[in-house]
Amino acid sequence: MKNVVYNIGYFFNEAKTLFRIDLLSNMLSIISIGLIFFILSLVISGWDIMNFTIEVIEKEAEINVYYKEGLSDEDISRLIDNIKAIDGVGNVEMVDEEESYSRMKEILGDEAHILELFEDNPFSPFIEVQINISDSDNILNQLHDIENIDFIRDNKSVIDRLKDIVSVFEVIGLLAVIAVGVSTLMVVSHIIRQGIYNNRDEINTLKLLGAPQIFIDFPFLVEGLFLTLAGGIIAFVMLFILLNYGYGQVEMAIPFIPLPSADNIIRRIVMFIIVTSGILGIVGSLLGVANQGDS
Amino acid sequence: MIEAKDVSLIYENGTVALKDVNLYINPGEIVYITGPSGSGKTSLLKLFMGIEYPTSGSLKVMGQVMEKSKSSDIGKMRRKIGPVFQEFKLIRGRTAFENVMLGMRFLDIPPKNMKEYAIEALKNVGLQHKASSLVEMLSWGESQRVAIARAIARRPSLILADEPTGNLDVDNAMNIMDLLASFKDENTTVIITTHATHLIAHKEEGTFIRIRNGSLQVEKREVATI
Repeated sequence: MKNVVYNIGYFFNEAKTLFRIDLLSNMLSIISIGLIFFILSLVISGWDIMNFTIEVIEKEAEINVYYKEGLSDEDISRLIDNIKAIDGVGNVEMVDEEESYSRMKEILGDEAHILELFEDNPFSPFIEVQINISDSDNILNQLHDIENIDFIRDNKSVIDRLKDIVSVFEVIGLLAVIAVGVSTLMVVSHIIRQGIYNNRDEINTLKLLGAPQIFIDFPFLVEGLFLTLAGGIIAFVMLFILLNYGYGQVEMAIPFIPLPSADNIIRRIVMFIIVTSGILGIVGSLLGVANQGDS
Repeated sequence: MIEAKDVSLIYENGTVALKDVNLYINPGEIVYITGPSGSGKTSLLKLFMGIEYPTSGSLKVMGQVMEKSKSSDIGKMRRKIGPVFQEFKLIRGRTAFENVMLGMRFLDIPPKNMKEYAIEALKNVGLQHKASSLVEMLSWGESQRVAIARAIARRPSLILADEPTGNLDVDNAMNIMDLLASFKDENTTVIITTHATHLIAHKEEGTFIRIRNGSLQVEKREVATI
């Protein structure tokens, strides 16, 4: 319909007028929606970071196998072959006392001087085994059946705890999505209803002139969409600042924690905010205009 | 164009606005409705516009059976009407030109013609020089003429004008009456209510309806042709 294209400018101008008529309410609504979206994007990015961290830790999962003292080189070599034969085991590497010592020195960094208190190297040699984390239960069971193994150190409990945290984040994320959805719909539909009330005479005139409902509603839909998109932009700016600051802090304090690229998170969050705010803006406006009834 | 059979309109508070109205108006006819205030002139126009529905009887406007119509059908029917409301119903905050344009934006008028129609309509009511004035800056008489321009720019099949000259001086009022009457030559039905009987006393052609206490008295005048 060519008249729709012709009227686009009119619809935007009307939306601008609607916004101007109730400027304070509209500004406050944008800020509220911005804060709501900010909380949501925080939860979503937290969820994203946790998932990434777990994925990296899972990919790099390894266990340390300590063998009994006094084993000959042949016994150790046989032990390594037995470990390699287990399904789900990747690279298997022998770490001797010196290597073990130097790794700890590197981890301790400035505090490494405490190692000088020991007259002898206190670390034992061990076998470093890279594993597929999904096979970890099976691998550990099989390792227990192999002779000459004294002790196995795995980080399964750490990963399990991280997974627990992620599932909590998933629940919080889901609740946040629902809360944001409901609150945004409420705010947008309320402001649209307010706009309809303020413009009831104009709407009545348009109806008397035979204007189709969609023609009357369109500026309100544009206004609702603008409110949520503007709120989304505020949320994005706040998240952008916070993520950049937070990443700097985390990288300085705990540099060994694997983090996804901040750009990737921001790109994903922008897409998420645009889509979510667009959908919520349109649905909220439709709810607002749905029950205006006949003037 | 309009066919009313035994139409009555009784408001919820019990006021009988119209009783047993029988009326047949042809396309291209010009109809003047007169009567004192509160006699039912505006109520009759409200029925024709689908703002009120007959309490009893049957009313057909442009083929639309009003008492059986859905609101979407009424909307479609209203798009063929050029209404001039007693209280103008102009949109504040917009210019005279924008108000006239607004009455056309949702009609099947090609976009390229809309501006031309709006300017022509404002010119016809003598307000082309006020096209870019906000309507709240216009006098009552000027506002009334903008409302008339909005109605005629729509190229309607039916013009319903409720007291279109109520706020105009005699010269302007006569001009507006003549302008509205001229649309009958384009096969547009024109229905005008007025209490200013002196404005139509000299008219030689048209249907003259006098309403008193909701009842109609119809007189048809025709120019004799040889």
